[in-house]
Amino acid sequence: MKVDLAPLIEMRGISKAFPGVRALEDVSLAVSAGEVHMLVGQNGAGKSTLIKVLCGAHHPDHGEFLIDGNAVRIHSVADARRLGIAVIFQEFSLVPFLNVAQNIFLGRELRDRRRMHSEAARILEMLGIQIDTHTLIDKLGVAQQQMIEIAKALSQNARILVMDEPTAALSEHEIARLFERIRKLQQDGIAIIYISHRMREVFEIGNRITVLRDGRVAASLIPSETSVNELVRLMVGREVDTTYGRHFCERPGEIVLETRALGSANGIREASIHVRKGEIVGLAGLVGAGRTELVRAIFGADRTTHGEVLLDGKPLKDDPANSVNCGVGLVPENRKTEGLALIRSVHDNLLVAGLPRVFPNRSYRFGKAVRIVAGLIERLRIATPTPLRLTRFLSGGNQQKVVIGKWLNAGSRFFIFDEPTRGIDVGSKAEIFSLLDNIVSQGAAVLMISSELPEIVAVCDRAYVMRDRTIAGELQRSDLTEENILRLAMHHG
Amino acid sequence: MASATRRIPGIAWLLGALVIFFSVFGARFASMPNLINIGNQSAILLLLALPMTLIIMTEGLDLSMGAVLGLSGVVLALLLVDGHSLPLAFAGALGVGTLFGLANGILVVTMGMPPFVATLGMLGVAQGIALVMTDGDSISGIGSALPAIYATRWLGIPFAILAAVAAYAVFHFLLYYTRIGTYVFAIGGNREALVLAGVPANRYHVLIYAIGGLMAGGSAFLLTGRMSVGHPTAAIGMEFDAMVAVIVGGTRLERGDGWLPGTVLGVLTVGVLKNGLNVMAVPSSLQIASIGLLVIVALLIDSLRGRS
Repeated sequence: MKVDLAPLIEMRGISKAFPGVRALEDVSLAVSAGEVHMLVGQNGAGKSTLIKVLCGAHHPDHGEFLIDGNAVRIHSVADARRLGIAVIFQEFSLVPFLNVAQNIFLGRELRDRRRMHSEAARILEMLGIQIDTHTLIDKLGVAQQQMIEIAKALSQNARILVMDEPTAALSEHEIARLFERIRKLQQDGIAIIYISHRMREVFEIGNRITVLRDGRVAASLIPSETSVNELVRLMVGREVDTTYGRHFCERPGEIVLETRALGSANGIREASIHVRKGEIVGLAGLVGAGRTELVRAIFGADRTTHGEVLLDGKPLKDDPANSVNCGVGLVPENRKTEGLALIRSVHDNLLVAGLPRVFPNRSYRFGKAVRIVAGLIERLRIATPTPLRLTRFLSGGNQQKVVIGKWLNAGSRFFIFDEPTRGIDVGSKAEIFSLLDNIVSQGAAVLMISSELPEIVAVCDRAYVMRDRTIAGELQRSDLTEENILRLAMHHG
Repeated sequence: MASATRRIPGIAWLLGALVIFFSVFGARFASMPNLINIGNQSAILLLLALPMTLIIMTEGLDLSMGAVLGLSGVVLALLLVDGHSLPLAFAGALGVGTLFGLANGILVVTMGMPPFVATLGMLGVAQGIALVMTDGDSISGIGSALPAIYATRWLGIPFAILAAVAAYAVFHFLLYYTRIGTYVFAIGGNREALVLAGVPANRYHVLIYAIGGLMAGGSAFLLTGRMSVGHPTAAIGMEFDAMVAVIVGGTRLERGDGWLPGTVLGVLTVGVLKNGLNVMAVPSSLQIASIGLLVIVALLIDSLRGRS
């Protein structure tokens, strides 16, 4: 009797820490045969880590796995596979110049090629896909590749199937097909763990919902007993404890930057935003919503195909060098590779972007350079023993300040910050934000991308929320809450 | 089959044009002895270009092949001079080559060194050892067994060409019909996927470099047979020709996009170009420039065709 009730797969007390981050803490999850278990949570809530642990790619620090009520060891990808766990990853695990059948059976090649192809064809037919199994993956579109990815997982005769946002690239029709297939899998007694950002899916096919927040289980619920609003509240679940001493902008000045129905070669559509003098405007959205792409299009790093970008009311060319000259400063997410020359000194990094402005007649004067650098170091409170220290030896927070100083010195008036606090400790975070506050109070304008909703809420005067590579909505200071951002960022319909 | 068949690439047209050009303007080019000569010269190049194709498909390269071939030839010759049997001497050459290939693989895959740096280092090591072993001189007196085998023909086809055809058959089978071949595509195309499929990708990756060393060692048989002596610097720069042949043949440096039949076309193009310029008495310095130009022209043709 008891055996029947045991879940097919159970994870108990899973904890996993990475240097500086507690990715998972005491997470327990049980999925029965025939159950579709939805896993939801914000960016960085621990969903992906949990899956990596389940499939053997990461080793948990603590915790155990039970299958059919028996403790099992998952120490490698091969272990997980042997136990019947298959994962459909968000990033495709397909090889471009192998054909469909070879990809489906990668690592489990059959001796008999003809059987490999007929097996592959049978699986594709079950999914209702018509693709020749001899076609190279390289020749397929994204949606087709997604279906191949699903076919690959199904071909492993898995008892436990994990899907990480499988519908992100699919059309309505294909989603319907996939759900049909999922319901059949349920009847076959497969346990399914399904990660989704789309609320409609959560309620349409989920039997149970687990909400992860900050690496912990926030709640485990039955769909019929909850609502979108409750889920969003659970995903957020904490009170904002700080505003980093921000002086919010009461009367913003004229518009510094504006995009009008901007479309770009990297997929942005119909994006209209504006940022005024004295404002910090947030750009929120889930991973893949197109925030970085929008910023690159504004900066001119990617080509504009529709609409326009205006700086001080004048059109801005698609040319990063021109953008810099016009006063746009980009502080990229990857400051180590894009924002700084790590093997050069603080002095050099602070000066590099502003050279044409500081020395207009192209003659470099060391004394003037030293004075400017000393001024910036003091103003930004960059902790460095000497201006000649190589930036690679600085802490993350101080590196970030050097990037900001670089643009200040270049005379930038409009700053774009892409995840300015990533990899920075709490103390430096507050300092970076007070620096932003300082910059805007002196008349600059800031557009800030952040995946940390509390930061957006704490720091921004206004925020735009992106979804599907366009602007899903705008939130004024008074409406700026984590719940409202998440509601806009996720699919409802 | 992953992708053994494709549309006709730019290189085929280029090869055809070169053959026609040299046939018309080079008096002796189209003669049978000369064509056989091209085949003989291309045979060794193909032996290197085949494994080079696999290595380049994994987003790597092997700069040490020419030097390792030279060293293996020296080892082969010295063992023969010492009176050892040909099979044993050949095994010695294969062993030395494989050892260097393994070292390349371990440096690149296990130690994570950039292929350019690791194989450049091994180039120096192999070259240095070969020079030390010979004092920079040729080694003569290797006996008659090896040159005799090299001189044999079957149905009028020279031994070297037969060996090259056999090697191609083996590599074609390896790449398109075995697990190893599938993993070559996967290492270059999506290594993470291979690892997540539970395949020991590192082991296969090292193996591919080891095969490169093995083939460099094996080529010593043909090289020494042709020259009847061992010479430490005889094969200098052949890795360059091999890489040119692979790239000109349509294998790309990324995403595991490789095409083995194209490598044959590439090898023949390099062979025809070198021979044709020789026949037309073009100075050798200009020949080197022409090989460089070949890469650019071949890639240009493909990119222009790709755009239209």
